[in-house]
Amino acid sequence: MTGRTRAARRQALLLLAPTLVALTALTVYPGCWVVWLSLQHRVPIFGVARFAGLDNFAFLAVDPRFWSAARTTAAFTALSVALELLLGVAVALALARQERGRRLGLSLLLLAWAMPSVVTAKLYEWLYHPTAGLINVLLGAHAINWLGDPRLALPAVILADVWRSMPFVALLCYARLRTIPAELYEAAQVDGAGRLATLGRVTLPLLGRIVLLALLFRTLDALRAFDIMFVLTGGGPAGTTETLTVYAYRSLFQMLQLGFGSAISVVVFALVMGAAWAYLRLLRPRAVVA
Amino acid sequence: MRRPARTAVDLLVLVALAAYAAPFFWQLLTSLKPEGELMRVPPLLPSRLTLAHYRVVLEQSLIPRALVNSVGIATLTTLLALVLGVPGAYAIARLPLPGKSALLLAIVASTAFPQIATVSPLYLLMRALGLRDTWAGLVLVHASFALPLTVWLLAGFIRELPLAAEEAASVDGAGTVGTLRWVVVPQLLPGLASTALLTFLFSWNEFLFAYTFTASEASRTIPVALALFPGVYEVPWGDIAAASMLASLPPVLIVIVLQRFLVSGLVAGALKE
Amino acid sequence: MRRLLLVLWVAVLSGCGGSALERGPVTLVFKYARILGPADPVPELLREFEAAHPNVRVRGEALPWTSDEQHQFYVINLEGRSPGFDVMMLDVIWVPEFARAGWLLDLTPGLHPGELAPYFPSTVAAATDHGRVWALPWNMNVGLLYYRADLLGKYGLAPPETFDELARQVVRIRAGERDPALDGYLWQAKQYEGLVVNVLEAFWANGTRLLADDGTLFPEPGRAAEALGFLRGLIASGVSPAWTPAADEELSRRAFGDGRAVFLRNWPYAMDLFQARDSPVRGRVGIAPLPGFAGGPRGAGSTGGAHLGVSRRSRHPELAVDLARFLTSERAQKAIALGAALSPTREVLYHDPGLVRSRPELPALHALMRAGRSRPVTPYYLLLSSTVQPEFSAVLVGLKAPARAIGDARLRLSHFLDALR
Repeated sequence: MTGRTRAARRQALLLLAPTLVALTALTVYPGCWVVWLSLQHRVPIFGVARFAGLDNFAFLAVDPRFWSAARTTAAFTALSVALELLLGVAVALALARQERGRRLGLSLLLLAWAMPSVVTAKLYEWLYHPTAGLINVLLGAHAINWLGDPRLALPAVILADVWRSMPFVALLCYARLRTIPAELYEAAQVDGAGRLATLGRVTLPLLGRIVLLALLFRTLDALRAFDIMFVLTGGGPAGTTETLTVYAYRSLFQMLQLGFGSAISVVVFALVMGAAWAYLRLLRPRAVVA
Repeated sequence: MRRPARTAVDLLVLVALAAYAAPFFWQLLTSLKPEGELMRVPPLLPSRLTLAHYRVVLEQSLIPRALVNSVGIATLTTLLALVLGVPGAYAIARLPLPGKSALLLAIVASTAFPQIATVSPLYLLMRALGLRDTWAGLVLVHASFALPLTVWLLAGFIRELPLAAEEAASVDGAGTVGTLRWVVVPQLLPGLASTALLTFLFSWNEFLFAYTFTASEASRTIPVALALFPGVYEVPWGDIAAASMLASLPPVLIVIVLQRFLVSGLVAGALKE
Repeated sequence: MRRLLLVLWVAVLSGCGGSALERGPVTLVFKYARILGPADPVPELLREFEAAHPNVRVRGEALPWTSDEQHQFYVINLEGRSPGFDVMMLDVIWVPEFARAGWLLDLTPGLHPGELAPYFPSTVAAATDHGRVWALPWNMNVGLLYYRADLLGKYGLAPPETFDELARQVVRIRAGERDPALDGYLWQAKQYEGLVVNVLEAFWANGTRLLADDGTLFPEPGRAAEALGFLRGLIASGVSPAWTPAADEELSRRAFGDGRAVFLRNWPYAMDLFQARDSPVRGRVGIAPLPGFAGGPRGAGSTGGAHLGVSRRSRHPELAVDLARFLTSERAQKAIALGAALSPTREVLYHDPGLVRSRPELPALHALMRAGRSRPVTPYYLLLSSTVQPEFSAVLVGLKAPARAIGDARLRLSHFLDALR
């Protein structure tokens, strides 16, 4: 190694150091600390702080509320992501073929995505109002209690989340579609392929990779979703919209059980990282190493 | 497809997208509807428009203070993330680093970190440092959470820059820092803009950390203030709608006016694969 | 350069706070939830206190609106250094928790003998932990039954003493009125603290409770399940409307206040609103004790309200205690009762001619308050409440059987309480 390379390496580390320090202190260190917390009984306001081993996890294994939250998280993730992908690809296809007003179309689409999730939650709370909400008025329905009915609350939350997140998927697919060279379409046309065949043979396969990427992003986001269900329903009614993150948060800051809540957080952590690892392996084969 | 048919379909798609954004417009309408007409629907359209709700929100609520907090915290977060991220991204993109691929993987992995996983230790940390209910505490947390994505995006943008300019600079005797400052950054402005917008948007919209680490109007950001909007005897839907519109102002502006940068930023990370 | 020196000078001065403060006025900070009503009587009272104590300024600061937010605010600010306030308004259920956490000043040494005698005994009990007094009772609430006197009178009925009677009356009145929009019995079953209050009242009417004196959870689980099942039955049979599981105090109060129900369980504050000039039910509402179960004890309402505590880290503890004493004095409580819909904690005020004139229901309220029961007085009340809320809610929306909910609640509570010991 030449002296110059060594100097360059030193400089590289120096330039990277602030980032690494910040990340280590505020992300990596807490990431390890939360595991340590999950092994304790910790209630700061009463000064309780003692080692408990796997006690919290043993309880979670038999805790009906934990399993209910896990099921809710799974249902929410599966349904949201599926809907977002289907709608997103459809919208991207429509938008890509657009000749005029593309910028306007994108603006309208991105409005839903850009606003704070709390704004979305308040918006939908008003839309779902039993008597004055737009949805019930348009349906002509007599006071369907969307957010209070245990069977309707989760679909209602999913709808709000899909509305908010679909534009992101659509945007990714749209951007990819725009990079497909026109020659490919022309070639398909020359071959006499109809529209549907073009879709199936040219467009969708080229979209494949980006869809997988969108799937990755959306799955991770859905697994760690918190804002919408917390503000819209608070996890109710009767815990039907309580995902693992909401359960963890309530345990931490409502019941003030820092140890137990951290145990649930560790479970969420493991789920998310596990899903990320699985997807990255799927994406790996064709990835160009940066 | 023939011209008129294409235009018709274009219009149809735009109408469909407008319908998609309808909830937003309904909220806008609600914020301008007189109080007495809010609960009496149909008719959907108000008899007249009123600014009363905005007046209440701006004069009698804590929203204005929350807006100030949000602007300050989001701006500082963006600045901090960029100041920390640009050198780091340059190091990753251009300089030889030991264990670079592992480092990249670690950085990408940290974008997947769920906030709920770090909120309890961060709560104890903030408590120990006395940073609860302060701007500084939230800025630090937001910046560190946004940092991995910032570095990743910026590294991608830097890699796209032509090497020629940097090589010329090093031939001229400019050091690494000099090259970074005078050659790379000026060319990086569009990428910086995109990254800055995404970071600002993230910090502006962030809820979980803001809700946990703020306790009063000293540091409460707009999403938290909106979630905790006071409703005494009845929920003030009109006022909440007005507050929602105010809270959405920067995001909406970014989407409409700075759309180009936003889109290139969002897409950059994904398309670089 | 000059500016820098100026900044340093100011910094040094503010750092030397101690001696400078002794010469200037003393400032006390009082944190309370804004009082509703035509005029907030508290600022005037604070000015009175200032007038009586030269060189003392009192700043009244507002707390967030909801109970949960207030609690979070206190927890965040009271842990660690000086919280920046001296006297604070506390929900009665937090007093033991805050005392145990070491945030409250022990008031016992400064109390005169018999100083607490004029207060309702239950309020004093709620302020006491381990034999020491940690807060002064400020205002009080009790759960009670509102009824449409005009409707009951029309059918020659007296306020029901048992729930069976209430259900029968609802059926009879609705059949007679033939109004499909008229609901029967409104109460609060949304998943929040109010739900626990309603369920506890049903427990007590069925001769059981949540926490026994020796700390046993659900000492008679069978009776508890029975009471829960009964509440579910009210909704299932239609005596209570289907939206009850989404109802809080305000939703139910407005429905009753619009004339759309026969009975309502709520707190005393609602009476003021029912008697407002433009209220559709003005002059047609009566209050009565909550019904019980046949063969069981008379229904007791749950008590609630607020106490005033002094921060243990206050820089002026004696003055702060004086302020708390002043605000809970007879004069102050009377002023607050006149200006707002809050009820005093001093028993004698319930027969004060001036107060009774503007609020004629006060004497009746007195009896109800004396008969009221408090929720479990324990530092772990919030833990209890937040653990049983989803279980109770699951029963009331028909997702879980009562016995299983009680069993699950017991399991979780024992785990958490064990972890604390």
